Amino acid sequence: MPWSRFDCDYAAPAGGERELTYCHAVREAIDQAMQLDSRVFAIGLDADDKFGVFGSMSDLSHPERVLGTPISENAMTGVALGAALSGLRPIHVHLRNDFLLVAMDQIVNYVAKWQDMFDRQVQVPLVIRSVIGRGWGCGAQHSQTLHGMFAQIPGLKVITPSTPYDAKGLLAAAIKNDSPVLFFEHRWLYKNTGAVPEEIYTLPIGKAAHLHRGNGLTVVAPSLAAIHALKACENDDLDVDLIDPRTIKPLDLDTILASVRRTGRLLVVDYDFPFAGFAAEVCAAVTEQAFDALVAPPQRLTFPDRGMPAAGPLERSYYPTPERIGEAMRELLAGQPAVTV
Amino acid sequence: MTDSQPNSTIRRDDALWLLRRMRLIRQTSERIAKLYPTDVMETPVHLCIGQEAVATGLCHHLRDEDKLFLGHRTHGPALAKGLPLEKLMAELYGRSTGCSHGYGGSMHLLDLEHGLPGSSAIVGGSIALGVGAGLAAELGAGHFVGVSYFGDAATNAGVFYESLNFAALRALPVLFVCEDNGFSNVMPKSEHSAHDIVGVASQMMPTASIDGTDVLAVNDAAGRAVSRARGGQGPQFLHCRTKRWMKHQGPERCDLIEVDIERDCPIHKLERFMASSGMVTPRELADLRSAIESEIDAAIEFAERSPRPDPNLMEA
Repeated sequence: MPWSRFDCDYAAPAGGERELTYCHAVREAIDQAMQLDSRVFAIGLDADDKFGVFGSMSDLSHPERVLGTPISENAMTGVALGAALSGLRPIHVHLRNDFLLVAMDQIVNYVAKWQDMFDRQVQVPLVIRSVIGRGWGCGAQHSQTLHGMFAQIPGLKVITPSTPYDAKGLLAAAIKNDSPVLFFEHRWLYKNTGAVPEEIYTLPIGKAAHLHRGNGLTVVAPSLAAIHALKACENDDLDVDLIDPRTIKPLDLDTILASVRRTGRLLVVDYDFPFAGFAAEVCAAVTEQAFDALVAPPQRLTFPDRGMPAAGPLERSYYPTPERIGEAMRELLAGQPAVTV
Repeated sequence: MTDSQPNSTIRRDDALWLLRRMRLIRQTSERIAKLYPTDVMETPVHLCIGQEAVATGLCHHLRDEDKLFLGHRTHGPALAKGLPLEKLMAELYGRSTGCSHGYGGSMHLLDLEHGLPGSSAIVGGSIALGVGAGLAAELGAGHFVGVSYFGDAATNAGVFYESLNFAALRALPVLFVCEDNGFSNVMPKSEHSAHDIVGVASQMMPTASIDGTDVLAVNDAAGRAVSRARGGQGPQFLHCRTKRWMKHQGPERCDLIEVDIERDCPIHKLERFMASSGMVTPRELADLRSAIESEIDAAIEFAERSPRPDPNLMEA
């Protein structure tokens, strides 16, 4: 298998290495995977356009394996699944995760279930990648972030990289994986830059990363929320242990629990809806498994439980910001100190 | 669109293959219906008595590497494609030796060796999977055709149109087979479809409409369609008019449907043809029936002897 040739776990580069945008890191993972393995192909609405998926599909070296599709997300998801069951490794691309909802029958009833339904006798090497998050007054149908909802469905892995390095390594890992993966890229991360090795590499699916070290408060934040939380930590030099789960599912609960056992406090910052979501899941799991260590009730900072507005003042009120995250952190840090043994 | 005539020049071997597979499906379905009230099968059953000719005539032209995607009425077509009877029975009995190890049940059958990459219980969706198989073949995954097998009611789902459109746009090696039994559960086609299935399909690809109770007609039309799809002539559509003698689900006859054996029974029609053209004797027909009964006995015994799946081995 060609994939064994690069199956290594790189440590995050320290700096001084090549800088790449998040968008180009995604593009490079796809391009290198397609060069490595002729079974890899990309399919989706405007996938073959140079501006497709916000520029992440431009100038791929195998254009014959990049297929644009009609607006038929439901059937196209089934087509990608059928191709995955017939020996290929499809990457189904979407401009926005709101469009995945058109394909819920295929994603939930078919893609997610196909392995469990047959006692895992079949492999489903299928990646569905999609952009998440707000744009610019895009309103309720073009601004959602739905990783929590998809993570609830057994049979789907859910990945939410926050840095260019993670984006490339985790996308390569997703393409290499023999089970379905949903890969969510936040639109506001696309222009961020960071050190990215030129060679192809994978990162482990299900392993969190520490973005900031501290002892007073554990903050769990995926995707753009992780970058905003990092900014909040650095702005005020807060004593925060910031964990980017990197993959929503499987979740690296061990890293989160070890941190909470040290800090006694938990804040989950999740740019998604609150009800029965990822933040609720982390709070529930920590409460179940590290209740004794908690000195304060776990807190969530999420979107309000309503659809997104459009006008500027409404958007600015609706969405959490680094400033609001900083406030929530300071409030928790000001509480009773953790009892240390 | 053609209404093809049965090919009276069919070879005895081929006719016997068709008869044997149809009898296997019929007698297995009848045995399931008989056993079902005893609750040995803890799974719903969607029988296809009366519809045997469609899958059989089709599968006569499919190879093991061709990928057939099925819906919920799946036992017959799966047997036609080559799923071993004992693996079907064991799955219906919920045993670990079943084709899906007891994790699938009657509607989710798998046999990778015989080109059954899985069947689905949500009407319509699996149409797209056959197109995906055709796309894989086009992109170099192998020499095979994708086959989407569905009923008339599935043509009301958006995925039907989306799938045909994409297959036609890319000229994929895909065969769409519509087993039109005229009913969506208890709702007749006149109430569930304002469109004409053949009319819609023929806008996008070559389409043949045939008497799906005449296995020689299906065999003929399927042979032509499969060879065109295989030969790079793009997707093909087969519309097979047939009758579902049983209820949508369960072991009982459907009282909404009138069955005339002379007119509607594909097995009766083929046996009459073979007898009248001297291909078989009444004795041979009787022997075939009893040989299949023994095969079914053995498959049931295998299922009954097989272990139930161990819940402790069920991984998250």
